[in-house]
Formats: sequence, structure tokens, C-alpha cells
Amino acid sequence: MSKAVLEDTTRCLGCRSCQVACKQANDLPAERTHLEKRRLGFQNPAALSAKTFTVVTNHEVEDPRAPAGLRWVFAKRSCMHCLEPACVSACPVTALHKETDGPVTYDSEKCLGCRYCVWACPFGVPTAEWDSLAPRIRKCTLCFDRLRDAAAPAELNGKAAPPEAQARMAEAQAKPACVAACPTGALMFGERDALLAEAHRRIAEHPERYVAHVYGEKEAGGTSLLYLAAVPFDRIGFRTDLGERSVPSHSVPAMSAVPPAVIAAGGLLAGIYFLSRRRAEVKAKQAAPAKDAPEAAVPQDRKE
Amino acid sequence: MHHEPVQAKLFTKWSIPLLALMLAGAAAFVARFAFGLGATTNLSNNYPWGLWIVFDLIWIALAGGAFVTAGIVYVFHGEKYHVLARPAVWMGLLSYSFVVVTLLADLGLPWHFWQLAVQMPEHSAMYEVSWCVGLYVTVLALEFAPTVFERFGWNRLRDIWRTWSPVYTVAALGLFTFLMSHQIWMAAVATVLFAVIAWLTRPSADRTGVPVILIIAAVTFSTMHQSSLGSLFLLMPDKLHPLWWSPFLSILFFLSAIASGIALVMLMDMTVSRVFRRPWNGEVLAGMGRILLGALVVYYAARIADVAARGQLAALSGRPGALFLIEVLGGGLVPVLLLSTDALRRKKAPLISAALLAMLGVMFHRVNVVLLGMRLPGTMPGGPTETYYPSLVEWLVSLSLVAAAIFFFGLGAKLLPILPRLEPTAERAAGASDAATRG
Ligand code: SF4
Ligand code: SF4
Repeated sequence: MSKAVLEDTTRCLGCRSCQVACKQANDLPAERTHLEKRRLGFQNPAALSAKTFTVVTNHEVEDPRAPAGLRWVFAKRSCMHCLEPACVSACPVTALHKETDGPVTYDSEKCLGCRYCVWACPFGVPTAEWDSLAPRIRKCTLCFDRLRDAAAPAELNGKAAPPEAQARMAEAQAKPACVAACPTGALMFGERDALLAEAHRRIAEHPERYVAHVYGEKEAGGTSLLYLAAVPFDRIGFRTDLGERSVPSHSVPAMSAVPPAVIAAGGLLAGIYFLSRRRAEVKAKQAAPAKDAPEAAVPQDRKE
Repeated sequence: MHHEPVQAKLFTKWSIPLLALMLAGAAAFVARFAFGLGATTNLSNNYPWGLWIVFDLIWIALAGGAFVTAGIVYVFHGEKYHVLARPAVWMGLLSYSFVVVTLLADLGLPWHFWQLAVQMPEHSAMYEVSWCVGLYVTVLALEFAPTVFERFGWNRLRDIWRTWSPVYTVAALGLFTFLMSHQIWMAAVATVLFAVIAWLTRPSADRTGVPVILIIAAVTFSTMHQSSLGSLFLLMPDKLHPLWWSPFLSILFFLSAIASGIALVMLMDMTVSRVFRRPWNGEVLAGMGRILLGALVVYYAARIADVAARGQLAALSGRPGALFLIEVLGGGLVPVLLLSTDALRRKKAPLISAALLAMLGVMFHRVNVVLLGMRLPGTMPGGPTETYYPSLVEWLVSLSLVAAAIFFFGLGAKLLPILPRLEPTAERAAGASDAATRG
């Protein structure tokens, strides 16, 4: 079944442990600190890039329910691992791939660097290594490699690891690094269906705490990152203009029409060819008796 | 129809600026690979596509003139337009080749291009365009081949070409259908159909004439990739303004390519008669003007109907509205009026203006689709994006390839039998072009 991550932003402290864990897990270089406090609060860096696959956003939002009427809302943003990803549908060489268990992965050995995925993604996620001579596309992969071969080391500090430690480590391994690092439980990893049920349970239990919307349940056809929040999502930088239709569903009809269109075009063109040849012949025959007009024997334009 | 190379000096005063620009472009091309995309272009995560893609789209739309002309002459039996066939194909071959060069510069990892041959994605417009353009270039080369055989008297090669180019073409169409459908039976249907067409339209027993299946393949492949270039943008309903985004983008791209292709072939022929001091093909151009009129009416009717049906015509406002009006009025209405009567189509000034405007209108449409009509949400988590201006390297690469296309077009016309042989009676004096407006 399909795995997903649920972030309950009401439990997020903005500590950015996930952001740091992501850097470590993906071995990504640091970025130069650049704060835009007026617009972004303490968010750093300003956007995802080939060096940053996940970023914690800061929003100070007016909320009458909060003490002093202001509330900080933090959200861990990254690839949404769409159920029907635009990036995968864009890619001409299947370098981007939707795994059956949820993650959208990338293989730089196939990639042409055409950057169509960058254009197509409705969430602005894939980024290119602009400072490289061989620029790969970079983005979060939901740590699919960790999920696949989650194995705890048999040794701990030079000694055989006790079974309970092994079990603990294996469990920590079998999650994306960001989820494993989250100290408050704001991030949860599991089956998408189960997480959705949990999200709706929380909304029902504490309607005063949440807006009644699970972001990602239906957006752009549904995503594997799900969010709960205390304030409307457009106030904390989420796109709320995407609708429920998946992006690829817009291009599938046109692309499926290509093979039949090839056959139809061939038939049509052949038909036109024979018809217009026949007309040229008839015209030439009619003109033939008039020997003094030799040009008329040449088929003339008969378009339109 | 007999053709011959134009008798003229290979290098003229025009060659110097063209060659200089080509040299600068070559340097820019080297710089792009030496320093990387980030350092030499103004492309970014917010603007992953820029000037080069605009040039590709425009160029392919204009080079649509090659398939439209071939279709008119060989499929519709528009014998009158035969004089345009070879120059149009030569122009198309150069254009598509240089589009491929642009793509090499634009791709981040172009050396992985062979992956296109070993992967089979579903429903990727980029994959469709890549294969379709690639195969079409080979068909264009085959269409052009007899010009070369004729020049060097390679009759044996020409016979081989006549026998085997249809076989290759049918195989290419079958392969393409398979790659796009992933269905053997679909590919089999296409292969059998095109093989039957190839057999029925084979060149006459005296082994003269062009295998018509080449032309049918050229038109088919062109229809497919011209429309799929529009499909590329179907994945951006959230970014492209609704005045441009439409579920029928593919059809609009195809129809507009026909119009701009005809316009370009007309302008090409006008330029050729002027530069090489050949007579003005008044009769042919007036006929093309009439076909252009039809193409423009069909395209802009579809364009406006599409926008109206989605309720966007009533909501016209602001900068996007202005851009749309420029496109539709300047590129559509004005040329349609200029071409509306036979008398107008026989006058030089209205004909030239109409062709120019028709071409510019479609060019502007492509600029709007890629850049001006895009509302970019920015890289996650989003925010205001700075405006994109192409860098010097981007301009040099693109402009130098246009220069190269012009230069090689002229060179080809002087070395190869591309342009029709002029009747000995035709006035070949410098003033001939003016005198010819009578006809
Ligand atoms: S968020 Fe973007 S990059 Fe991630 S799966 Fe969806 S379309 Fe692909
Ligand atoms: S840049 Fe690479 S991953 Fe993205 S669409 Fe192109 S080939 Fe696929």
C-alpha cells in the first residue's frame, strides 16, 4: 500500500531537526544564510534548491483563538509525492518514477536535464544543480532507500547490539530521516489511509484546534504528504488554487490520441492524394482536346 | 520541373556579418559547456525554460512551411507551387537541425540522449516530441537527398534511395506508433496501412518522381510533433494564463504552425527573388496568399472560439488581455483583411505585410505561452519571482543559429539545384523583379 507522511503543524515547534536530518541523510552541502524576516520570518533558506530538499516555513498569522491574537505556524515543506505526479508524467525518459509504495524517486543516470519536470510540478519542487557542469535534478525521495533496506547494525560501539536496541534502530531506519528526527511527533509516517483516518479523527475530536481540511487529501489528485493546521492553508503559503484534478489527467487525453491520430492522418492523406490526383487527371483530359493550351495539361492548384 | 544552382558569388558582403555572428555563437556555445548552464544563462529554478525554448517553438512553427508546402505540392497536387518545394524542404532541414543544436545547449545532460531509445514513458509529450522530431529530420533529409544526387549525378544512389526510402519511412512510422502506444497491434495496423499506401503511391515505372509516402510521412510526423509541442503545456494549467492554456492547445499549435509555415515560405520566396534578383513569383505568391488566408481564418476562428467557450473572452483585461488582443488583431485580423481580395493578393505591399504579420502573430503566441503568459508560483514554498531576461550567451547561441540558417540556405541555393531553373525568356536583368509583379 501507499506510504505517506502526516504533519500536524499544531505540534510543530519550528525546531528544524527535520531540515538538518534531511541534509545529513542526503549528504547535502550547506547554503549561505539569507534571511528575509519581513516576508519569511526565520525561514532559511528562502526556497528549496538542489542543496535543500526540505525547508521549515515560518508564518506569524493573526488568529483570534491564539493568545494575543497571533500564532506562529511552522510547516515542513518538501516534495508532496503526489499520487499522480506531474513530474513523472512530464519526464521523457522515466528518470522520475512513482514507486508503488508511494515515493517519487529520481535516477540521474537516465535524466536528460530537460527541466520539464521543474516546469510541470504544481508545487515548485524539482530543482536543478545550476552550478554544476552536469546538472542533475534534485528533490526529496521520501528516503525510499532507507525504507527499502532498513536494517539495524549488528554491532553497537564495538559490541554485539542487544536485540531491543536493534529493533529500535530498525524502526527508526524504516522512516524518512525527517520523520525519525521529529522530537514532537508532529511528523508521522505510515499508510496513507491510516494517516488520513487519523487526521480526520483529530479534526473531529478537536474542531477548535484545526481548520476542517486535510491538505493533500485531494489537492491535485491527492498527495502523500498530508497536513493539518490551525489556520487556513492559504495563510501559511500552501497553494489552494490547484483543484482536485490531477495535473497529468489534463495531458493524458491528448497523448493517448497520438497513435490513432498517426493512423488517421495516414489514411486521410492517402485519400486526399488519390482524390486530387483523380481530379488532376480529369482536368487534364478535359483540357487535352484544346491542343493550343499545353499548360492546362499540367495539374493546376485545386486547393480550396 | 528543373532546378539549378543560382549563379552567384559564394561570399558576398552579407556573409561577413552572418559569419561573425556564427563565430560569436560558436564561442557562446563553447562557453555554455565550459562554465555550465547556471553561469552562462539566466535560467533558474523559477525560469527553467527560457529564450532557447522560445526559439525552438518559434522555429519549429515556422519550419512547418516545409511540410505544408510538400503537402500542397505532392498530396494536394498543387503543381503550381512546385517551385517552392525544394527551397522549403532545404529551409526545413536547416531549421530542424539547428533546433537540435539549440536543444543540445539547453539540455543539462545531453550525453544521456540515448536514454530516449531505451525508456518508454507513458503519455510524456516531451518523449513524443523528441522521437517525432528526430524521425522527421531523417524524413526531411530523405526528401532533400535527390537534390544532392542530382547535383553530383549519383544515379545509383538515387535508385537505391527510391527503392529503400519508402521502406525506411514505413518502418519509422510503425516504430513511432509502437513507441507511443506500447501496443504491437497498433504498430502493426500502422505499418500495414502505410506499407499499402507506399505501394499504391510508388513512383511510376520509369522510376521518376518522389515516393509520395515520404511526403505523407513528413506531414504525419509534423502533425504529431507540432501538436505535441502544444501538449507540453497541458501540464501547466496552474501556471499558464487561461487565455493561452486550453485543453485544445495541441490543435491550436498545429493550426498556427500551418499558418506561420505558409507565411514563412512566402517570405522566403520573396527574399529569394529579391536577393538573387529573380523574377517575383506573383502568381504563386498570390495563390499562397489565398491558402494563408484560409489557414489564418481557420486558426484564429479556433483560437477565439476556444477562448470564448471557456468564458475568457468576456473576462479580457489587464496585460494578458492586451497581449491576447495584439496576437489576434495584429497577427490575425489585419493579415486576413490584407489578404481578403484577389486584387490585394496580387499587390506586393499588402502581401508582404500580411505574411510578415501572420508570422509575427504566431511567434508572439509562442513567446506568450512560454514566458509572458506564465504566472509562476516560484520554487517551494513559493513567492515572488524575479523577471527573466535572457543572458548574452543565450542570445548569441540563438541568434547565431538563425544567422547560420540564413547563410547555409544561401550557400545551398548557390551550390545545389534547389531553386527552379529560370526560363530563358525570363528577364534576368536587375529590374526583373519589378516587371514580374504584372504576372
Ligand atoms: S510535488 Fe512535484 S516533484 Fe513532488 S511528486 Fe508532486 S509533481 Fe513530482
Ligand atoms: S530534467 Fe530529467 S527528470 Fe526532469 S523531466 Fe527532464 S529528463 Fe526527466
